Amino acid sequence: MSYILSGKGEKVLLMGNEAIARAALEAGICVATAYPGTPSTEIIETLSEVAGKCGIYVEWSINEKVAFETAYAAAITGVRSITAMKHVGVNVAADILMSSAYSGVKEGFVVVSADDPGEHSSQNEQDNRWYGLLAHIPVIEPSSARDSYYLTKEAFELSSRYEHPVILRTTTRVSHTRQPVELNGDIPSEKKCKGVFDKNYERWVLVPANARKQKTRMMKIWEAIRRNEGREPFIYVWNPGRSKVVIASGISYSHAEEALRLLDALNDVTLIKVSLPVPLPPAPITTVLKDAKEVLVIEELDPVVETQVKDIAVDEGLSVKIHGKNMIPENGELSIDRVFEPVAKFIGRETLPPWQSIGEVKTEPPIPPRPPVLCAGCPHRSTYYIVKTALNKAGIRNTVFTGDIGCYTLGYQKPFETQMTCFEMGGSLGIAHGFGKVLENTVIAVIGDSTFFHAGIPPVLNIVYNDSKVIPLILDNSTTAMTGHQPHPGTGITAMGLRTTAILPEKILEQAGFKTIVINPLRVKESIELLTQAFKEYLKGERIAIVSRMRCALEVARDARRKQVVLPIYTIVEDKCIGCMACVNLTACPAIIVPAGSKKPIILEELCNGCGLCASICPYKAITVKNTPSPEWEKLW
Amino acid sequence: MKTRFNLVLSGVGGQGIITLGRLIGLGCMHAGVDVSIAEVHGMSQRGGSVIVHVRIGEGESPIIPVGGADTIISLELLEGARSLVYANKGTTLVVNDFLWPPPLVKYPHRDTILAAISGKGLTYYLYDANKVSMEVSGSVVSSNIALLGFALAVDKQLSKYIELSDIEWAIEKTLRGHLVDINKRLLKKSYEDGLRHVNP
Repeated sequence: MSYILSGKGEKVLLMGNEAIARAALEAGICVATAYPGTPSTEIIETLSEVAGKCGIYVEWSINEKVAFETAYAAAITGVRSITAMKHVGVNVAADILMSSAYSGVKEGFVVVSADDPGEHSSQNEQDNRWYGLLAHIPVIEPSSARDSYYLTKEAFELSSRYEHPVILRTTTRVSHTRQPVELNGDIPSEKKCKGVFDKNYERWVLVPANARKQKTRMMKIWEAIRRNEGREPFIYVWNPGRSKVVIASGISYSHAEEALRLLDALNDVTLIKVSLPVPLPPAPITTVLKDAKEVLVIEELDPVVETQVKDIAVDEGLSVKIHGKNMIPENGELSIDRVFEPVAKFIGRETLPPWQSIGEVKTEPPIPPRPPVLCAGCPHRSTYYIVKTALNKAGIRNTVFTGDIGCYTLGYQKPFETQMTCFEMGGSLGIAHGFGKVLENTVIAVIGDSTFFHAGIPPVLNIVYNDSKVIPLILDNSTTAMTGHQPHPGTGITAMGLRTTAILPEKILEQAGFKTIVINPLRVKESIELLTQAFKEYLKGERIAIVSRMRCALEVARDARRKQVVLPIYTIVEDKCIGCMACVNLTACPAIIVPAGSKKPIILEELCNGCGLCASICPYKAITVKNTPSPEWEKLW
Repeated sequence: MKTRFNLVLSGVGGQGIITLGRLIGLGCMHAGVDVSIAEVHGMSQRGGSVIVHVRIGEGESPIIPVGGADTIISLELLEGARSLVYANKGTTLVVNDFLWPPPLVKYPHRDTILAAISGKGLTYYLYDANKVSMEVSGSVVSSNIALLGFALAVDKQLSKYIELSDIEWAIEKTLRGHLVDINKRLLKKSYEDGLRHVNP
């Protein structure tokens, strides 16, 4: 049995995202939806694994907008639901998010926004607490992985009580930290999974006349939350009445608390833990500010709480000095490191932190940076090589490659340079279209399969409708690889493991008017020939698109281990190798290294996944299969 | 100013650093001590530098301060050297004797790295976890477990909190089928190697 389903009273090691999933089950959800996105993915993934056992409905939606709509629809019929997305995913769902606050819900509806301060795996570090202020939706912000377990349940209660959506805002270090969690509730055996649609058109049809009424209704709820919810567990006040006050929100509270503890100063200040940063309830803050001379607000990213505290001070006519972003960094992730000194300074100590780094290790040559790279055997590597070689053969120079969000974004690096832009999901195609209108270059829009379904279809239709000569290149590895291999509409499998219709990108492209060439990037020579021919047709005015289809190497390697299938392992025959470095310089494969002091590369055989690209590149035929692969190995790919 | 026991795990994405963190976390639960394990997922896992922060003892803040590590366990030499910014003068480093350079860059020789580490005046232990993993399990995939077994034997600070039996329990909880026995054997062998290393 999955540890997620452990009984009340048990202690289990849970990642923040798993804690949220468990809490949602305890809260009686029956619908859970998401499009995967780091750091939110494991919430819905966890629920998908226990969906059958728990009798709930879970789906990987085509994108965050549809995920939001699906879960929201359940909640307006009285079925509790959750939808989870990364911070930038909320941008995709922002339209319905805004309307959902106007119309509200009938039962608990929690939107998890998993923010990524420090941009561990994102294109920006936007602070989604602003969405709460923008949409008039309360934001609950846990301070740790285990706090997220308790606060998720509170979020559902709050949502039910006010018939209003609630945002649960986590950050990477909440989402992806594991902690022992003592379960204080059970998963209900009975839950409401069938809804009733109340034909209250005034509420659900946001034509202007109705929207005005709903705005009034929404603002009453907003005011009620501000007035009534300044209580535990949303606001904790320790040591009221001190002249110095530290207010900290979300994970910043954990850092602040540790800093004060290390300084032995926990009793010297009034400490406020804010778990409801939006809307910040004025009453408890006012009480504390009245006794205070100086306040330090500690929060990650933007001054969302700080701004509201300052508003409260002004509204109450209080002359109290309020610090925030003048002392605490606004960019990047906070840590005990970055919080300790400002806290020490605020309480008037000159204490040095209790840790002193020995500093960076200096070597010659220096320790090189290690950015993420395409994995050994990754089919994207072969596709990039094939496309660039075929462009050359067709005589096309200075191609502009627009890029998108996925593992293949790593193609921006040398030697590929086949991602020259990367802004947002689906952006490759829209940006390419714009380029197509103003650049003379050939423009290729590179987009993964899951991203194509997510946000690529409208812009690909726009390319045809508004006639630009863009070549869409769909990298189809039949999974959502970057986030950990979730299925999508092209795979024919749902989140709950059920078979469904597989939708092929080439059918969509053909229907739209592209002559679509499907290649197998493991067959390097054949693919180069096919694409050279296609590019020549493009030069004659043909509208072409390319689908490069091959499974993710990580999945193939995993399946090979499980099914005990032996994949080919390549080796470099030393006598034949002249050290031209073509294999190193053209593939940048992490399994090929040049040992220090050597003039010839070697293959780290335990890391080779056997794609064979290096062997087809080697001009001296020095790279060969070393082992005896299983006869059926190619079927795994 | 007492802080928690801070254990930094480092290596290259794909080497099993997250699994290692989870095993230690479960081990801590079995040993009855509080713990937090901060990971990173997504793009940073694709062959990039990976750091997992394990903090043992009561507390909520999950990230180890620069200079705050009591122990660093690293599955790769360059990453071991890189993660030494987390070290202070009292830190113990346990590092896999495996140099895996990133593609297309110049990098220092193994002996240069080791000399630079020695130059920092740290206690460090070198162990060929890939080789031992290969010998026992037929694959380098379990080098993480091999290095942990070795670390538990040589690092007397870490073994104050968790013992071999706690990790054995964690392996039973986490892995399935024949992998349980193989990895328990690997853990024991590397632990014994570690004991011999400190008490030859």
